[in-house]
Amino acid sequence: MRLLVLLWSLGPLLWQLRTSLLRPEALVAPLLDGNPWTLANYQLVLSGDPPFWRYLANSTLVGLVTTVLTLLLAVPCAYGLHKERGPVRWGVGLALVAAAMFPTVLLFLALLEIARSFGLANNLLSLSLPYTALSLPLAVLLLRAAFADLPPELEDAARLEGLNLGQRLKHVLLPLLGPALASTAILVFLASWNEYAIALTWISRNDLLTLPIAIARIGGGSVFTIPYGAFAAATVLGSLPLLLLVLLAQRSIVSGLTRGAVKG
Amino acid sequence: MNKRGTTLLMLPALLLLAAVFLYPLLRYAWLSLHASSVLTGLVPVPNGGANWGRLLDDARFWTDAVQTLRFALVSVALELVGGLALALLLHRPLRGRGPLRALTLLPWALPTTVMALGWRWILNDPHGPLNAAIRSLGGSSYGFLSTPATTWFFVVLADVWKTMPFVALLLLAGLQTIPLDLEEALRLEGASRLQILRRLTLPLLVPYLSLALLFRLAQALGVFDLIQVLTGGGPAGSTESLALYAYLNAMRFLDFGYASTVMLATFLLLLVLLGGGWLLLRRAGLERTSGRPA
Repeated sequence: MRLLVLLWSLGPLLWQLRTSLLRPEALVAPLLDGNPWTLANYQLVLSGDPPFWRYLANSTLVGLVTTVLTLLLAVPCAYGLHKERGPVRWGVGLALVAAAMFPTVLLFLALLEIARSFGLANNLLSLSLPYTALSLPLAVLLLRAAFADLPPELEDAARLEGLNLGQRLKHVLLPLLGPALASTAILVFLASWNEYAIALTWISRNDLLTLPIAIARIGGGSVFTIPYGAFAAATVLGSLPLLLLVLLAQRSIVSGLTRGAVKG
Repeated sequence: MNKRGTTLLMLPALLLLAAVFLYPLLRYAWLSLHASSVLTGLVPVPNGGANWGRLLDDARFWTDAVQTLRFALVSVALELVGGLALALLLHRPLRGRGPLRALTLLPWALPTTVMALGWRWILNDPHGPLNAAIRSLGGSSYGFLSTPATTWFFVVLADVWKTMPFVALLLLAGLQTIPLDLEEALRLEGASRLQILRRLTLPLLVPYLSLALLFRLAQALGVFDLIQVLTGGGPAGSTESLALYAYLNAMRFLDFGYASTVMLATFLLLLVLLGGGWLLLRRAGLERTSGRPA
């Protein structure tokens, strides 16, 4: 049973790995002579113009900036929402859930207009603005749940000690929110790393493409002309960072998502 | 902390959210009442609702609506069933459960374009491994991505592969809230595993199933990148989704007015379906609780 599940989840990925290591001729027909295995596909991808690691770097940059911005905006918002009572709390909560569910591709045209009129296109840093907005609903909901889990006496005691709001957040509340902040950060980073529609329309310069767009472009030709080996190598390279992240942060991701589900 | 203070803390985030979520909808509503295309030099000119009239007569829009709905309903149904099975498996105390959870989660964590291109190769006709397997069993190659009648199902398959782990994780969260002693008590009464599932597990999972259903339905109705990369909407438009049609209107036909109309119509469709689904779920939930002896 476990094996079957693993085969289903990993089979397609392992097939990509195999494809990436085969000579192009070996993909079409079994080779009659010689060694079918090669690293040439990786060399091809890494020596491209721009080299493939550039896309990884671009996506990492956008992901990191988005994660920091999201947390900076989400923490005060989550705290405020946690303290808020009455119709505002209810309305904001509902709006956040609706925004978290919204299929973001429907936003791209208006956002593209904004990007054009403010000169934000072809800029990795400005790309993290809409990304931050797309990540905020989930981040605020997760962090609000985390604030609600803290014992209220804790903050009361800190207030009696004379700590102001900033000090209470910095010295008392946030240190206890470590795990929730970590899992929120990972989910935000993943979402930003994988976003497609906005990056597709905002970025046209080849050296500024994020990973999903670069990979889609490699595969953009007709089905028969795609250099499958090279593109499989690209997908393997593009998957490795995520593989590491998921393996290392599995616990964090699971607890983040489950916390969100319990409270959302 | 006074009341106005907490509201102020939320303001920066809410302003950004309004700019990115609310403004586009208002902008689409306005643009949908204007002609803004190559013909007008992309300058919006009021056209008295002509876009909406065109939408009603646009066979391609309605075909895409049906195709999007078919994709969403079938893939979400499969994801819920498969996700539940996967969650039940991952919930059992197995050896190596942590790494197993991480590895099954991997398809969800990868960019959609990466896995879409992977599937394009696996489904390739004639060189993909699936067709190689069919041939080695004595069959002949099948055009998985070139047969208009069936290609949509393989798009569903790719979506289920990617998203099922996410649904499983949500349901796993639900499973973890069920006290073990309840299950134990039922087992001592002699209930079979299927009976436990039906009488205890599923009823307690209803909120999680509803959440997964609504969330996935909303996302699936907006399906875009998977289809753009896997099939480009083909063959013969048989997998084109509403979001892809809106995208093509904007970026290929450069008709911003009509693209806005299509996007707004897609959003309204979504709203009606999700609102309807939510009401149905709520009524079912109310009946369940009111039907139960106090």
